[in-house]
Amino acid sequence: MSDPAVYSAFQAVRSTVLWAAMSTVLVMVPGVLLAYALARFEFFGKKTISTLASLPLVMPPTAAGYLLLRLLADNGPLGRHSIGIDLNILLNWKGVVLACAVMSMPLVVRTARVSFEAVNPRYEYMARTLGHGPVRVFFIVTLPLAGRGLLAAMILGFTRAMGEFGASVVLAGNIPGRTQTLASAIFSAQQSGNEKQASILLCVALLVGFTAIFATEWLSRTRVQTGGRSESST
Amino acid sequence: MKVPLDRFDLDVDYEAEHRVTGLFGVSGSGKTTWLEALAGLRRNATGRICCGGELWLDTERGIRVPPEGRNIGYVPQEHLLFPHKSVRGNLLFARRRALRRGVVFERAYANVAEVLELEPLLERSVAELSGGERQRVALGRALCSGPSLLLLDEPLASLDAQLRHRILPFLKRVRDAFEIPILIVSHNPTELLALCDEIVAVREGRIVASGRPMDVLTRPEVFSLAESQGFLNILPCRMAGHTLHSSTVRLGADGDGPQITIPRVNAPEGESMLVGVAASEILVSRAKPEGLSARNRLPVRISSVREAGHIVLLAAQLHESLPPIAVEITADAMEELDIGAGEQAYLIIKSSSFTTYSEHEAAGQDPD
Repeated sequence: MSDPAVYSAFQAVRSTVLWAAMSTVLVMVPGVLLAYALARFEFFGKKTISTLASLPLVMPPTAAGYLLLRLLADNGPLGRHSIGIDLNILLNWKGVVLACAVMSMPLVVRTARVSFEAVNPRYEYMARTLGHGPVRVFFIVTLPLAGRGLLAAMILGFTRAMGEFGASVVLAGNIPGRTQTLASAIFSAQQSGNEKQASILLCVALLVGFTAIFATEWLSRTRVQTGGRSESST
Repeated sequence: MKVPLDRFDLDVDYEAEHRVTGLFGVSGSGKTTWLEALAGLRRNATGRICCGGELWLDTERGIRVPPEGRNIGYVPQEHLLFPHKSVRGNLLFARRRALRRGVVFERAYANVAEVLELEPLLERSVAELSGGERQRVALGRALCSGPSLLLLDEPLASLDAQLRHRILPFLKRVRDAFEIPILIVSHNPTELLALCDEIVAVREGRIVASGRPMDVLTRPEVFSLAESQGFLNILPCRMAGHTLHSSTVRLGADGDGPQITIPRVNAPEGESMLVGVAASEILVSRAKPEGLSARNRLPVRISSVREAGHIVLLAAQLHESLPPIAVEITADAMEELDIGAGEQAYLIIKSSSFTTYSEHEAAGQDPD
């Protein structure tokens, strides 16, 4: 730890893991509920909402970050002058978490939606005939049956947040020790010619990415056995 | 009650009088829809549904009780056992409701496990179960919930012929051991004859006939729906004894009817079981048959004669404790035989024409 390159790399990785975890917590509840609604119900504006939720996937991350910046700026629709309180999101760690959450939203919603769609709704009907109300059925039947897919959604969301750069740089900046993430630290190290630090960070990024994809592959392959539509009755 | 469907609407008005009612009809006639509407799973159902004094649906008064409020035991055709739970977990799934309804759950659970012989399966995962075991667990789950109405959707359709012979006795046991009203949907007249007190025949969403099982199923307009499968008589009996190659049983639930010879079955003496014989496998004679190889020659009284196209269905009363036996003969044979209702006749049945429905293996016998 005495080597400043190693220390600052360590600090960036530690903050990134923490912020990515926070953004995953932030995005999972609304993301899963939205995915369930999109998978099960027909309602007005469904296509529009579905498109909006996927938009960050195809937008340049810097554009998404800039959009958030405009929304949260002092005179923006969610800014201090409009809502009366200062959310104090810009240029600190909260900005990073928000940017990560928004950018990982599409992956979470899409993956969770597919796993809900794979759960045969007749299991839910069956549970209701056995005396359980719809909310309880969601928790004791739907969630467990979609569980592996939701875990995959969570891992994908987390890793997307780990790699976030464009949106968080625009929203929170790249301040070493305050808002610098794994991605922005690599950028800074490369720009300043600090090859040793860049290499350490690169290895961490490779390891995290590989583990995540490997885990989600494994989860989606074994999901079939826990009963989806494909389960036969005889 | 009305439910809109793709090709036609289900539109039925019926009040069941007996405890075990069968809904009969070919696939796509609307019987499963009827069942699902009773279960509360068809949100577009309109009209009025009342079960044992509880009003479940009355669109005029804006009453629609959701499925969780109807207290039913639903056994769907595909069983729908929860794959994330063990067999025990599935059976305990409706414990909350059973307790809420004042059921002594532990006793009900033990009783169900015993009647359906579920004890050895309890710790298994659902994926490891065979078709027949799934059916028994699905029945058990429904019964453990302390239902006030049991809905069975094609309970034997998903099973192969061999398994059907094993599960039918379980259904019979459920019917006798639990004093709850049962509604059975089936396209198979055999199951309904064996289990039901009354039958409703449905075609394209309308009731075409209803009443006692034999009366309904031998009606030409109903029989034509079942024709492709023919008629299989199912009779209760008790094992009376064995010879080297065959067994003898006494017909009737208490074994007080006439004795018949069937292919050998490895069941202990006195055991109650079911035997089946196809209506087309039975010969009719007006005179007492002599010098025949067929082992069973049974005196009967013909109780009804019904023509259904090119064949004639006779209902023959063998013994007061037994349902009438359906006999199928061609219209030409009927003309020659010239027999009417109320007359005496003899039924001639080869012992090998009988199949047995028992939990015990038949010895060297093809269940078909």
